[in-house]
Amino acid sequence: MNEKNMKFIDRERICVGVITGVHGLKGLVRIKPFTDIPESVSAYGPVEIEDGSRTLEIEVANRTGKGQIAARVLGVNDRNEAETLKGQHLYIKRGQLPSTDLDEFYFADIIGLSVVNNNGDSLGEVLAVHDYGAGAVLECLDKKGVPLMVPFTKEAVPKIDLNNKFILVEEKFFEAFEI
Amino acid sequence: MARSIWKGPFIDSYLLKKAETVRGSGRNDVIKTWSRRSTILPQFVGLTFGVHNGQKFIPVLVTENMVGHKFGEFSPTRTYYGHTADRKVRRS
Repeated sequence: MNEKNMKFIDRERICVGVITGVHGLKGLVRIKPFTDIPESVSAYGPVEIEDGSRTLEIEVANRTGKGQIAARVLGVNDRNEAETLKGQHLYIKRGQLPSTDLDEFYFADIIGLSVVNNNGDSLGEVLAVHDYGAGAVLECLDKKGVPLMVPFTKEAVPKIDLNNKFILVEEKFFEAFEI
Repeated sequence: MARSIWKGPFIDSYLLKKAETVRGSGRNDVIKTWSRRSTILPQFVGLTFGVHNGQKFIPVLVTENMVGHKFGEFSPTRTYYGHTADRKVRRS
């Protein structure tokens, strides 16, 4: 899973959706959004395709079935041209996302950070973030490759350093959830 | 069909004992449990449980609006990762 997910997250770019097909004859494309709100695909400004060779300006037209949206790409006016975009993943630059509140973090910033204890020893890395209704949980991979869950609270995770790419986890919490 | 009120909420007695011990000690230790069927009682509010999902222990920090639900409801047995894009998380 990790590798699959990490493909869509790098520190510079974030994948917000994928063009799955075309919609109608006027050059609309169907997009499968990966954002919280489907319409947010176009909310952060222009998107670029996977190899970065082309920047697209997208305007959401309406929702289609299966959680997808129909969107107009600026400069694409017919179906044949729209078909050339099929399969393209759409990326935004990390800087295009708005800044967060205090103690609020983007998943993309947290995933992949290394986990250290109070002595600075590495315990593993963050694999995913979950919320099952009882508070946010970090899924960490320990050194042996075993997944462990750590509550995402100030008590368990007192420090998050995005610049140096690590989170500090109180070791008692890391050990408490060992199998 | 709902459980009869005269029976009271179901909880495994060993879990109740564990929770009372932790609450008595004043230390907020994680209570590991396999008892997914136990009901969350009002006296558990503020405690952290590690609820087993068949593979690992999922942290469950009990809050007031979880009272009356079962522990298993907060520890899913199937994991869905999905895409993250612009999703945000708040540290509580």
